[in-house]
Amino acid sequence: MELHDRLEEVFRQVFDNETLTLTDEMTAPDIEGWDSVAHINLMFGIEQAFGIRFKGNELADMKNIGELKHFLVDKGAR
Amino acid sequence: MNTARIPYSSSSATPEARGDAFRKKGQIERAIQAYLESVTSPPTADLCLKLARSYEQIENHAEACRWALSIVDSGDDFTAWQAGWGLFQRNALKAERPAVRSIKIALLGSYTTTQFCPMLCLAAARLGIQVGLYESRYGQYQQDIIDPKSGLYAFAPDIIVLAVHDGELHLPEFSQTPEEDVRKEVSRWTGLWRMVAARSRARIVQHNFALPCEIPIGHLATRLPGSRYMMAQAVNTRLGEAAANAVSLVDCERLSALIGKQRWCDPRYWHLSKQAVALEALPLLARHTATVIAADLGLSRKCLVLDLDNTLWGGVIAEDGLAGIKLGHGADGEAFVAFQEYLLKLKRKGIILAVCSKNNHADALQPFEKHSEMRLKPQDIALFVANWESKPDNIRTIAKTLQIGLDALVFVDDNPVEREIVRKFLPEVDVIPMPEDPSYYVRTLSQYLLLETSSLTAEDHERTDQYRARAQIKELEAAAGSIEDFYRSLRMQAIVTPFDASQLPRIAQLIGKTNQFNLTTRRHGMPQLEAFVQDANYVHLSLRLRDRYTDHGLVSVMIAQRQGEVLDIDTWLMSCRVIGRTVEATMLEHLCRQAAQLGCTSLQGTYIPTQKNAMSADAYAKHGFERLDSPDGSQLWSYDLRGKGPITNTFVKTVESWEIADGAP
Repeated sequence: MELHDRLEEVFRQVFDNETLTLTDEMTAPDIEGWDSVAHINLMFGIEQAFGIRFKGNELADMKNIGELKHFLVDKGAR
Repeated sequence: MNTARIPYSSSSATPEARGDAFRKKGQIERAIQAYLESVTSPPTADLCLKLARSYEQIENHAEACRWALSIVDSGDDFTAWQAGWGLFQRNALKAERPAVRSIKIALLGSYTTTQFCPMLCLAAARLGIQVGLYESRYGQYQQDIIDPKSGLYAFAPDIIVLAVHDGELHLPEFSQTPEEDVRKEVSRWTGLWRMVAARSRARIVQHNFALPCEIPIGHLATRLPGSRYMMAQAVNTRLGEAAANAVSLVDCERLSALIGKQRWCDPRYWHLSKQAVALEALPLLARHTATVIAADLGLSRKCLVLDLDNTLWGGVIAEDGLAGIKLGHGADGEAFVAFQEYLLKLKRKGIILAVCSKNNHADALQPFEKHSEMRLKPQDIALFVANWESKPDNIRTIAKTLQIGLDALVFVDDNPVEREIVRKFLPEVDVIPMPEDPSYYVRTLSQYLLLETSSLTAEDHERTDQYRARAQIKELEAAAGSIEDFYRSLRMQAIVTPFDASQLPRIAQLIGKTNQFNLTTRRHGMPQLEAFVQDANYVHLSLRLRDRYTDHGLVSVMIAQRQGEVLDIDTWLMSCRVIGRTVEATMLEHLCRQAAQLGCTSLQGTYIPTQKNAMSADAYAKHGFERLDSPDGSQLWSYDLRGKGPITNTFVKTVESWEIADGAP
């Protein structure tokens, strides 16, 4: 599966929404329920799914989905 | 998340991948069939989620709930648990799923507990507990307890979970007066407990302190009583002593070691959002917290139903013979001995052991009687069933003979087919997925949660003996002529007394878990019991029973309130182990005596029907009470003492202390 699809799968689990679709421009306000608590859950879910580790200061930082995907590639996510 | 790249509809695809493909095409029922084909024991969290979602789509909400709850057994995947809780909530509403018990829990934390809430609710739901939850604001556990007008007390919880962490311990890094510092810190916590007890009827379930893995003074700390490391351990020890039967503790120090302390606390999440317990450790913590709560509510299982061949020893006794089975030598043989020794330890803490084996009875008994390496002896087994009938049939017989519910049983069998049959035909019976390698039998059983005990009473140690006696009595009953002859042959004696302080934990345990013979099912806790004892308007009776076979211990409790000339029964219950012995009449006999002393002229009693107490519906009618009109679903009954005279029972002899006669144990 492509990185995009796998990321979408994590979002679907975390936000308990099977029809959720991601676009690169999306930011937190675009997704229902994406508050600070959900953000922590999301970062954790991504770490588990992609087998990577964010640094402490990276956990809170993220502009949009596109940036997150670049970031994952940089981190060595397959 | 590890979905393999498999072409859709390929015949070589795994059943799970075929299920995914069907689901994508909207063929949900075919997807479910494919998913069910790939269920292993236990199924993965991913598969549970897919099944729950598929069933939700075809609006089979009961099955959606079942699979959402299976996530709890599948492991500790935080993200799956979180999704599982959302699914369960939605579907439970639509399935109108009955919970075994519904309670209010207040969660008071010293760290961010937001993510812990859904974990705890899901783990509790798996154990049949429906939770109404109150969460204190971040770090406000002390304020909530200290302020009598706080949201905590307004919520009136049944259980208060104190989710606190090591950072909350007020201890210096090094102390010249460790004893004093530990004492002060322990009394800060016990002071909070007392405050709760004075203001609320809630039971406290406290997380003890998981020691951190960063120890500045290193190994030297273990040699210095004044090091924070040693003082924190001392606080845990003293809290355990102070808690006794009044407060329950969840041993987070052990859990953090189990998962590994580096995983228990992740500094990144602590610094970012004050998660003292890492997200990946929350399912484990929730599971154990829910288990301790379930034990407090009396929902733990009582009896292990054990298979024999390849469960208690290696090989098949009927084929391999006494000399051929693996027991006591070689790796497997040693493992089976270790497993038997662990079972004996469980028996000593009050778990009943029963055997259910497909074997000739004589073959099956042989190792118990003749094999020198057997740790379990015939007298350790409350009921020994070995024949060629189906296991579900035999398990039903076991429950009936021991007079316990199917929901008190746990099935232990190495054979996955037998496990699946029992799971399917007796869903009330819990089934442990035993591993293939007997080396891991002890560990698997030790991680099974529903054998947790809330408190140990003297009765617990003798339980198998009591249930064994009960099975013998069933046989005697069959042999005896009239029921009156049978009652007399039991030579029953009872000691009936008002409650005293030493009995209160056992009385609270009975009140908490007795469902069947329980007229009002009012779950009074320790504080209320203590209040009854102080109040002269209350009559309280406890009954211990002994017969020619065994001392059954404290088995019946009655609380009545004097209302002018009427003595009103608030609570009347009896352990199901002595049902059908006329003990009810003895309780009423003593209540009549108390009524006479108080100058009351009639007894009054209420029967409040529940799903489980149908068997006590006729308790009043049987003893000459007359039904009064009552407005709601409850029934009001009255007994006119002046008109009918006192109730008596000739089958049970009331004594001051046991009279030991021939035939008594």
